[in-house]
Formats: sequence, structure tokens, C-alpha cells
Amino acid sequence: MKPAGAELGEVLPSGDAQLSGAALKSCCAAVYAHPAVRWLLDDELHPGGAATTRRALEMAGLKGGDHLLDVASGSGASALLAAEELGATVVGVEYGADAVREAVEAASAAGLGGRVSFVRGDAEALPVADSSFEVALCECSLCTFADQERAMGELHRALRPGGRLALCDVVSEGRLPAELRGGLATIACVGSALSREGYERLLAGAGFELVEMESRSEDAARLAARVAERLRGARLLGFGSLAELPLSVPEALEAVGAAREAIADGALGYTIFSAVRR
Amino acid sequence: MTPTTDAPQGGLGTTGLGPTTSICPRCKQQLDAELIERDGRVLLARACPDHGAFEAVVYGDAERYREIQRFSKPGTEPLERQTESDRGCPHDCGICPEHTQHTCLGIIEVNTACNLDCPICFADSGTGHQEHGFSLSLEQVESMLDAFVAAEGEPESVQLSGGEPSIHPQILEMLRAARARGIPLVMLNTNGIRLARDPSFAPALAEIGIHVYLQFDGFSESTQIAIRGRSLIEEKLRALERCAEAGVSVSLAAAVERDLNEHEVGQIVSFGVEHPAVTGVFFQPVTHSGRFRADADPLDKLTNSDVIEAVAAQLPEWFRPDDFVPVPCCSPSCRSATFALYDGEDLVPLPRLVDVEDYLDYVTNRALPDLDVREALEGLWSAKAAGGSGPVAERLECIACATAMPPELREVAARGFMIVVQDFQDPYTLDVEKLRKCCVAEIVPDGRLIPFCAYNSVGYREQVRLEMSGHGGNGAAGLA
Repeated sequence: MKPAGAELGEVLPSGDAQLSGAALKSCCAAVYAHPAVRWLLDDELHPGGAATTRRALEMAGLKGGDHLLDVASGSGASALLAAEELGATVVGVEYGADAVREAVEAASAAGLGGRVSFVRGDAEALPVADSSFEVALCECSLCTFADQERAMGELHRALRPGGRLALCDVVSEGRLPAELRGGLATIACVGSALSREGYERLLAGAGFELVEMESRSEDAARLAARVAERLRGARLLGFGSLAELPLSVPEALEAVGAAREAIADGALGYTIFSAVRR
Repeated sequence: MTPTTDAPQGGLGTTGLGPTTSICPRCKQQLDAELIERDGRVLLARACPDHGAFEAVVYGDAERYREIQRFSKPGTEPLERQTESDRGCPHDCGICPEHTQHTCLGIIEVNTACNLDCPICFADSGTGHQEHGFSLSLEQVESMLDAFVAAEGEPESVQLSGGEPSIHPQILEMLRAARARGIPLVMLNTNGIRLARDPSFAPALAEIGIHVYLQFDGFSESTQIAIRGRSLIEEKLRALERCAEAGVSVSLAAAVERDLNEHEVGQIVSFGVEHPAVTGVFFQPVTHSGRFRADADPLDKLTNSDVIEAVAAQLPEWFRPDDFVPVPCCSPSCRSATFALYDGEDLVPLPRLVDVEDYLDYVTNRALPDLDVREALEGLWSAKAAGGSGPVAERLECIACATAMPPELREVAARGFMIVVQDFQDPYTLDVEKLRKCCVAEIVPDGRLIPFCAYNSVGYREQVRLEMSGHGGNGAAGLA
């Protein structure tokens, strides 16, 4: 699994440096492909894992035969779920080349290669035709995009009129503590998370009408608790830092502790937004 | 125990979990039996034509019981079987062709003499029984070890027990004989009195390379008097001190009884993790074979799930019930274990760090994170890092079987610590399907390997005692 690590060294931010544009996207892709990170998250790359994905797709009314666009599809877990359980035809767009390869292999291993495809691409310039999908899914990734208006506009363009968007993301209300700002917090979808109102504005601005919101903050709390536990385990196993991440295990523990507090206080959460394209 | 008058039958809230075979606790005859769920617990029910119906609780949490069945894995064949199938399980033990598992842990009871008279004893041992008891010779023990090696090839572990094995005049030679046969884990099951009193004993064990399995039931005076007949805490602490000084590793073995020391399990764990000599704790719900509380209600017996819940409830910062994973070697309701990392402040159970099933089930072989942790953890739950060349599944089972701390864990930064919960069966709880997969056996002088729960429940113990001493022990010899 060296490639992801090598990539990481080149793209990671140092200290509190803020990232933007392409650097941020490469960085996110590399971090979430990294085995150490995958282990910390136990492969639950967004709060609630498959259960939250299922719920988001249910809220968006995805049904058999629908065309689904999965933006930032990672290693393809949600896309495969939509195809396998709900009978959708899925296109996944992902910035990380390794993740795309992994997703393609997973689809073919699951015998879904005919109905699920993955392409390398940028959420701010989606490599898909206009008005070509009934449903779009964007999980825990919008807040890592540098130009969120543009990404939202692209989702709008890809959907048919009346098409539905399932947007799942970290929501932050008020100012977060210092540990939860900066480059790595951005990658963790925390540093640049919007408020509920912020998402509503963003959706409305791109021509979406918000239909429903559902808080999944308990899932975020569980995920943060697991990460904290695994970080404690890493410390007990004698790991000073996590692979190539420029963050020591004790620092990471502090940050996750701050995140858990913020989740408990309601300052940080995870929400599914279901919206219709006008 | 009063047998119920009605034949076992489902009532409201009763669900069948499947048929099995059991015995009549009185006359030991084989009986068709039924595992049933009632009030959220799993009971074993059957009716003897001569002695009426009997029910006993075998697992305190029916939901978890169903859930853990997925850990059941096919057994591994022993190299040799010593007896033929004739009357049917459990009456042909030795091991007979009906048995489906090899033996991970062999137990040799070297004597019946003891320096205590524990009310709890299932082995009918004590200070006053020597004239009717027996004491094996070194030659006998050697031939029993040879029988074990013949059956297993490369046995994983053996435990010398008794009586009180430490008072046998040739115990060190016997332990040495076991080590000389290349058995990696040789344990001495002891009450610790000799370790406390004889300063040369722990260093002698260290020199041979022995792991001490120390009876340690708790801290309160009342617990010790009820279980062991007198307060022993000072001797236990001294024994542990001497082991620590000599470099002898120790597992604390606690017999746990409802309403007696159930409340002390958390304290035993927190004491164990701090003590330099202690590498793990074994909790054994008390069985009502032998002389302890022979009138105890089998519907009130403590089971593995009760002990696991007690540990989690008493140490909520450290453990959850699902940290305890059934070992795949014996039946999933027989033994559950957890390993934890501890550095003096923080403790994390390993099942929080890895998906244990991935490690237990090599067949699925899902891609795992390419971290150092993988190596460290893999060695713990699997075969690879154990350095063995044996078939993966086989090695896997014996390590997961959790007879002692895997050496791999000593290499990580924090201390590794193990907790095992082991429920043995008694005449009321004996489920023959479970028994067939038992991997703990009493090695008896004639070279048979008798599954531990059969040995204590079916009448084998009395039979061996009779053969060895001309006296059948206190109870009537059962029909073995």
C-alpha cells in the first residue's frame, strides 16, 4: 500500500496551513485511501456507514432503474450498495486514482461491473452530461471542496429537472475550538463545515429546494468514539504518529476529544439533506 | 435440586433452540434433550423415565447465545483415538471416534491430597482423604504425557493439577518431564500456599519455565471462607510477590459463584492488570459437580454471559460485553476471551482495534490495513506470527483457545492482558453436542483422554478414583 503513503508525503499540509483547490482534493483523496486512516475509521468513511447511506438514498426516493451519480465515491461502497440493494445504475466520480481502481475492482468482484462505473474526475467539473441522473449522492465530501458553489452547481447540472439530491455532511454551528480548525480538520470535514443555514443557502443558490433534513449526529458521535479508541490503541501499541500523517497520536487524540465534546454540545453534527432540483 | 414434576415443555415465552442429548443427573443415562429459550435465557431440558424432568440454565443471555453460534468452527482431528464407540457419547470417552475436536489443554491430576479442604472442590480432594486417595508416580505421569504426545503430536499445553500438585514430592520432576516433551505451555494449577511458604519454589518453577495458574477468588474474607474454607489472601499475595521476583508469569483463576463473589470480578481484573506477575485472569462460573452446593438450583447457576456482563458492569470504562469473543475451538458458549492493552493508565481491549472475526476466519481474508498493528494483532488472533508451521486453522484455534498470553503481545509497548471466561458443565448442564467438541481433557493413568466436563459429570472421576485407590470417593460411582 505504499503508493498512498508516498502520495501523502507530497500533498499533506503542514501544521495549521489551509489548503485550497487541487492540493486539498489530492490530499483528501490520499488521506482517505491511506490504510492507517482506513483502520482508524474501520472503513466507515462517513458517520453511520452503510446505514446512513441507505437512509439518504431512501429519503431521495432512489428506486430500481434510476441513474445515480455518486460524487466523491471513494472506494465505491455506497455506489455498490445502491446498485446491489436498490437496483440503481450508478456512476461514481472520484478524485483519487487509487480509489477509482479499487472501486472498479470491487464492482467487478461483486459482478456489478455492468451497472456501476467509476471515473476519475473533479466535483467542480463533473465529467458527466447535463440532466443525466435521477438522483445524486454527495456524502461527507462537499465541505472538503474548495469551491462549494461550483460543486453544487455541477450537481444541479448533472441532475434532471425534478431530480433529487442526497447531501450528507458535517454541520457546525458557531466557532469551533482551535484543534478543530486548520488543514487536517478541513480534511476531516470539520474545519470547513457549514452551518445548517449555510447548506440551505448553498442549496437554494444552486437552484435546489430543500425537502427534508435528518440529523445523524449520534452516528458522528459513535464514529468519533471509535477513532478515539483506535488512537488510544495505537498509542498503547507504541505508534508515535500515524504513518505519514503530520500529527502525533496524542495530538490526534486531543483533536478527536475536542470533536467529541463539540458533538455532545451540538456545535458539531452530521445531517442528511434531501433536496429537489428545480 | 427438586426435579420438576412435568416433562419439559414449552410455556409462554419459550422457544426451541434445537434438540441435543444430555444425561440424567441422577442415573447418568443418556437422554434426548432440548435447548429452549425462556425469559431470555437458554435452558437445557430433558426427562428421565426413572427420575423425572430436569432443567438447567446453560447460558444467561439467549440473544447472545444465538449471536455467538457463528463463531462455531469445525474441529481438528486428533492423531489418535484411544477408545471405540460402543454405548454412545458420553459413555465411551477416551477419546472415542464420536469426538470432533483434538485436545488443546491436557490436565493431569497428580494427587488427591491437598493442604486445603475447599468446600468448592470438584475433585473430592482434601487433607483428610489421602488414605483413600492416590498419588501418581513420576513414571505414571511420564507415560500419561507420552499418551498425550501420541494423541496430539505437538501438544499446545498441559496443566498439572490435583489435589494440590505442589505438595507432591516429585512435582518439579513431573513439570520438567512435561517441558522435556517440548510442550510449550506447562502450567501448575495451585492454591499458592507452597509458593508463599517455600521461598525456593517460585525460582524452581522459573528455572523449568512453568506458568502458574493460581486459584484467586477475590478479596473479601467471606468469599474465601465460603469457597476455600479459610482466608488465604495473605498467602496469595505473598505467592504472587514471589512469582514476580522469580519472573514466573501467573494467571489468576477465579471460581465465580452467584451472590458470593460475583461482585468482585472487576476488582480481580483491576488487581491483575496492575500486578507485575499476572498476565491474565480466568473466570470460571462454579459448577455443581462434586461437593459444592449439591442442592443448588440448576436454574440459578451463573453462566459465561453473566460473568461477562458482571465484568463489563463493574469496569464500564474498560470493557463492554462484546469485547469478549467466543473462542472457535470449543463450543461458543464454553469459552470467551478478550485481550487488552494496558500501560498503567489506559486500557483498550483488542477487539476494539480489529474486527476479530476477520482474524478468526482466515477464509474470508479481507484486505486488512497494512500497518504494523496488523502484525502485532495478527499474531494475537491468528496463526501467522506464532511462528508455527502447522496448518493455519489448527494453530489459530489453539492460540485463540486462550490457554495463556501469546508471547507476541509482550513485544508491544503496553502490557498485554488476557481475560478468559470458561464455563464447565456439570451433570445438570451437560450438553453432549458441546461435549463432543470439548478441547480440554483429563489425561488419566491408563492413557485415555477424557473431556473435562465428561470426567466430572458422567462418573469417570469416580471410576478412576476407584481404580487408583480402591475407593470410589464420596459419591457413588456413576455409570461411566
